[in-house]
Amino acid sequence: MPNTEIITKLLARHDTWRGQSQKPSQRSISSGNDQIDLLLKGGWPASALTELLVQRPGIGELSLLLPTIKDYCQNNHLSVWLDPPYQPYAPALAAAGIALQKVLIVQSKSAAEWLWVAEQCIRNNALLLAWSDNKMPSYSDLRKLQLAAADSGHAAFLFSNNKQSGNQKSNRQESGSSPATLRLEVDSVGEKNLRLSVRKLRGVAPGEQLLIPRGKDLSSQVSLAKLPVNSVYPAIPISTDIPRIKTSDQRLNA
Amino acid sequence: MRVLCCSESAKQSGIEPQLSLSTALALCPELLTLQRQPEREKTRLQQLALIAYSFSPVVIIDEKGLWLELSGCEKLFHSYRQLLQQLQTKLLHHCTDVAMGIAGSAYAARLLCQPGFRCELPQSIELEQQFRRTSLNLLRVTKRQQQSFQQLGLTYLDDLLALPRAELASRFGTAIVEQLQLLLGEKPCQLKLFNPPATFHDLLQSPQGILSKQGLLFPMKALLQRLSIYLQARQCYCRKIEWRFEPLIGDHSSMCITLSGSQNSWSTLLDLSRLQLDRINLPGSIETIILSTDDFAEGLPEGLDLFGDTSAGEERLETNRLIDSLSARLGPEALQQPVMGDNYLPEEAGKIVAPGEHQPVTVGHSGLQPLWLLPKPIALQLRNQQLFWRQPLYILSGPRRLSDNWWQSDQQRDYYLACDNEGSRYWLFKQAGTDRWFVQGLFS
Repeated sequence: MPNTEIITKLLARHDTWRGQSQKPSQRSISSGNDQIDLLLKGGWPASALTELLVQRPGIGELSLLLPTIKDYCQNNHLSVWLDPPYQPYAPALAAAGIALQKVLIVQSKSAAEWLWVAEQCIRNNALLLAWSDNKMPSYSDLRKLQLAAADSGHAAFLFSNNKQSGNQKSNRQESGSSPATLRLEVDSVGEKNLRLSVRKLRGVAPGEQLLIPRGKDLSSQVSLAKLPVNSVYPAIPISTDIPRIKTSDQRLNA
Repeated sequence: MRVLCCSESAKQSGIEPQLSLSTALALCPELLTLQRQPEREKTRLQQLALIAYSFSPVVIIDEKGLWLELSGCEKLFHSYRQLLQQLQTKLLHHCTDVAMGIAGSAYAARLLCQPGFRCELPQSIELEQQFRRTSLNLLRVTKRQQQSFQQLGLTYLDDLLALPRAELASRFGTAIVEQLQLLLGEKPCQLKLFNPPATFHDLLQSPQGILSKQGLLFPMKALLQRLSIYLQARQCYCRKIEWRFEPLIGDHSSMCITLSGSQNSWSTLLDLSRLQLDRINLPGSIETIILSTDDFAEGLPEGLDLFGDTSAGEERLETNRLIDSLSARLGPEALQQPVMGDNYLPEEAGKIVAPGEHQPVTVGHSGLQPLWLLPKPIALQLRNQQLFWRQPLYILSGPRRLSDNWWQSDQQRDYYLACDNEGSRYWLFKQAGTDRWFVQGLFS
C-alpha cells in the first residue's frame, strides 16, 4: 500500500522532476514589453532568480524592470534595492508610477550581510533587486537565493557586471555556470538600441537575441548648430531604430 | 530584627515567624538569612498588578498583596469560575504559592485570606458565617484593646458586631468602628487604584555574571515577556526599546531597537534583539540587564484586534517586520528610502531618507528624468570643444532650461541628454552664462 501522503508532498515540491509530459509550466510575470515577453516565453520567471548580465551601468538595464517593480509595489509588496551603484532618483521613480514608500534601499557592508539581506527579502515576500558589483557571490550563494525564490514564489533580480575587470573576477561568470533560472545578457548597440541575449532559460536556445529601441522620449531634438560644444556621434553600423515589423525578424540568431 | 518567614527545613529546627534574629541564630547557627528588600517586593507587586489588570479594571496594590474587584467582570469571562481559573494559571506562572480570600469588601477579603487558590466562588451564607467566625486578633487593634476584648469574652467578629456601635466607639475609640464599617463595606475603600506606569523600566540581575551572548537570551526573553504583559495592560505598542548591559566594573553597553509597526509580541522582539546583539560588543561579564522603553503609540498590539480585521494589515505587518529585522542586523543607517523633495533642483528633488520619514510632497516633474543620480554633480572636461567624462560624450537631445533656487543662489541650468561610445546615457547640464558642464545622473 503506497503512502499517498508522502507522494503528494513529493509531487507538490517544485523541484521534483516529473518527466516531459507532466512538467509543470514555469509561471512568469509580464515584463510590460510584448517583445521581451515573447523572447522569454511569457515574461520574467516568477518564483525564480533572474540574473541580468549588464555590460555597463547606464545602458537602460533598470528601465526593463520598472513595470514589474510598479506592479509589485501596487500589490503592497516592498521592493528592496540591495547595494545599488548610484542613488535612485525619486522623481523618475514616481514618474514611472512606483510608490516611493514601497522602495527600500539597503547598503550591505560585507558579502555575508549581502547574502543574508537578499535571502531575508526574498523569503519575506519582497521584490529583490540586488547588485553584486564587488560582492561576487559564489555558486552556492546564488543557489541559496534561487531556492529561496522558488520557496517563496517571488521573483528576484540580480544585476551582475558582465565586463571582465581584473584577473580576480570569479570563475563563475567566465565558466558561465549559474543556478539562476534566467540569465540574460544586456548590452547596448549603438546609442539607441539595447540587445538582450538569453544565456540560459528553460525552453529557449542559448544565444537567442532581441534588439529593442531605448528611450523613445527623445522629443526635443537638438539643433546641433546652436550647441556650444562639438557633438557629432561617430557613425556605427547599427545605429538606427529597428522598425516595428514581425517579431521573428527582430530576433537575430547569433 | 525579626524573622519574617522561613523555609520548611528551618521550621524543623524550631524557627518560626516573628522570632527575633538572635534567638533564631541561637537555635540554628547555620541558619541562612536574607534581608528583606521592600523595593523589590514593590516591583514584584507591580508586575503582578499588571497581570491582574487584564482581569479587572479595579486593582489596588496593598502593602502585602493585591485587591481585585471581580464584580462586573463575570460577563467577559462567561463565569467567575473561568475567570478565577484563568487568573490562577497566569499567577502560578509568576509565583510559587498564593493566598487568597474572597469577600464582599476589600478589607474583609484580606481577613479571610487563606493559603491556596480556590476557583470556586463561595456561597454568600457560607461567606457570612466564615466572616463572623473570624478571630478578633486579626483586626488592627492595640495590645491593650486585644486584652480587654479577651476580658470581655469577645473572641470572634460576630461578638463585636452584636454590640451597639456608639458604645463601641466611646469605649474603644472611633478607629475600631471605622474598621468595622470598612469590613462590612458600609464605607467605600479610599485607596488609590492601580494604573500602569507611563514608562516601562525593568531589570534582571545575575550575581554570577553572564559571560556569553547566548546566556543573555534567557533573561532577555523574561524581560520581554514582562514588557508584553505591560503593553497588553496599557493597550498600546512601543516604537523603540532600549537594552542596557551593565558589568560590575567598567563601562556598560547599550543597544536600541526601533520598531516600525505594531508587532510587539515578545518573540518578534527577541528575534530583533538577537539580530542586533550579534553586532555589538559587550563587556566581559554582565551583571545587570535593563530593558526600558518610553516611546509608545496608541493602538492594539498584534493579535488583539477586536474585530479581527487582520487580512488588510497583514502585508503591512510583514513589510514592517522585514524592515525591523534588516535594521536590527545591519543598523538603522543601512536602510534608506527615496523621497521627493519640495524643490526643482534635482539634488533637492530626489532625496534619500531613513525609512518611515515620509512626507507626501507633490512637486510636478516633467521631462526626461534619469533613474540614477550622482551624489554630487561632477564637473566635465572640455577637450577641443569635446565633452569628456571617462570617455567622450555626445549630446543626443536638449536643452531643457531649469531656473530655480533664486532665493539662495540663483541656478540656471540647461539640461542635456548625452551618451558615450558604448551606449551609456548621461544627464548633463551646463550652467547658463558660463562654460561649465556637469554630469548629474545616468539613465539606466
